[in-house]
Amino acid sequence: MDIVIKGLSHRFGEKLIFENYDLTLEGGGLYGLTAPSGRGKTTLLRILMGLLIPDAGTVPQGVRYSAVFQTDRLLPGRSAVDQLLFVRGGRKDRAEAARFLAGLLPENCLNQPVGELSGGMQRRVAIARALWADSDCVLMDEPFTGLDEATLRQTADFILQALHGRTLLLSTHQKERLEAYPFTWVKLPE
Amino acid sequence: MKPAKSPRRYLRGLLVTLFWLGVWQAVSMLVAKPVLFASPVDTVKALIKLVPGEDFWRAVLGSCGRIALGFFLALALGLLVGIAAFRFSLLRTLLSPLLTMMKTVPVASFIILILVWFGASSLTVIVAMLIVFPQIYFATLSGLESTDRELLELSDVFHVPGLRVAWQVFRPALWPYLMGACASALGMSWKAGIAAEVIGNPEHSIGEQMYLSKIYMDTAELFAWTLTVILLSSAFEKAVLWLLRKVGK
Repeated sequence: MDIVIKGLSHRFGEKLIFENYDLTLEGGGLYGLTAPSGRGKTTLLRILMGLLIPDAGTVPQGVRYSAVFQTDRLLPGRSAVDQLLFVRGGRKDRAEAARFLAGLLPENCLNQPVGELSGGMQRRVAIARALWADSDCVLMDEPFTGLDEATLRQTADFILQALHGRTLLLSTHQKERLEAYPFTWVKLPE
Repeated sequence: MKPAKSPRRYLRGLLVTLFWLGVWQAVSMLVAKPVLFASPVDTVKALIKLVPGEDFWRAVLGSCGRIALGFFLALALGLLVGIAAFRFSLLRTLLSPLLTMMKTVPVASFIILILVWFGASSLTVIVAMLIVFPQIYFATLSGLESTDRELLELSDVFHVPGLRVAWQVFRPALWPYLMGACASALGMSWKAGIAAEVIGNPEHSIGEQMYLSKIYMDTAELFAWTLTVILLSSAFEKAVLWLLRKVGK
């Protein structure tokens, strides 16, 4: 399913973020969104998810999104497995969710409350949750903040393999860290 | 998780208790009129005399049952109405003067009105409800309002079913507020309930028995009943909070 944005305009107070902006994301594509901070990366993702109504323009309806937000947004006091089961499945899917997470995190920490995990681990739980959920398109807002090079590579490999044909749009201000991956880079208006 | 109490802290608690028992005994000896001020020994003696009697258990069961009924009815109603008021702000605005009235009108006025309208038999239940309901209602509202907006937004984007959001996002936010409100409402429901019974004298109630001790100037018995109320009220409080903690896990 292609995602087509047409004639998007949005302003925050005096500041014009988008003016008649068009963007097409082909179904199953890998897209990277790069721009200096404050240029509307998060705004675009929020508009797609329907959390922000743009001043003007058409955004496709009926697309199912899953997302990694700028903050991790994990249920406090619950385990990594619980975070996954919150967005899809039930008790019977525990083993499957644990197997899924094991691709990204050490197995001995999967049932610990997330508060006891390091920041980088919590980030990876949020990433795994977005990929575990049912969706047509996965949005990720700066998913690799706080991850070192080795973890970044492991995480990026995991993401590509777990997408299963879904569209990915991720934002980053460190494009050079992802040069090894086949991203199509989307520019935001200057 | 609470750390286990060390033996030293137990010892300290015991010594503090003994100190105040000593003060109580000393004051009663200074006053030297058991009719005015019963000593700890007199109180315990009076309690030992009361406990085997049928009247004692009838009063204890009667008061406990009515206060517990009032408390749980108000807990259920406060939660339901609180949730509804959180959802529909019009209801919240509509209820606001009523709740302010419930919080500010003296309990004694309510007691007299309820006696006139409904008689003594349902007095304790209604008074306990009137005391508990506003506390639960306001705690429910504050608790739900403290819910993490970011988690709600996430639930929205991921299309998490409403019941799951209620249990896993709203409930953990609500619970600390509810526990706090219950802890204070439990004690108050006992105090107000017993006060109502002393004024209204419903049959088979602790308040009625206290009123009788006053008539017979039996201070030791009054102290024994007071001790009974303190023990019952703290046992009830512990049991309810334990139950809430179980559900809240």
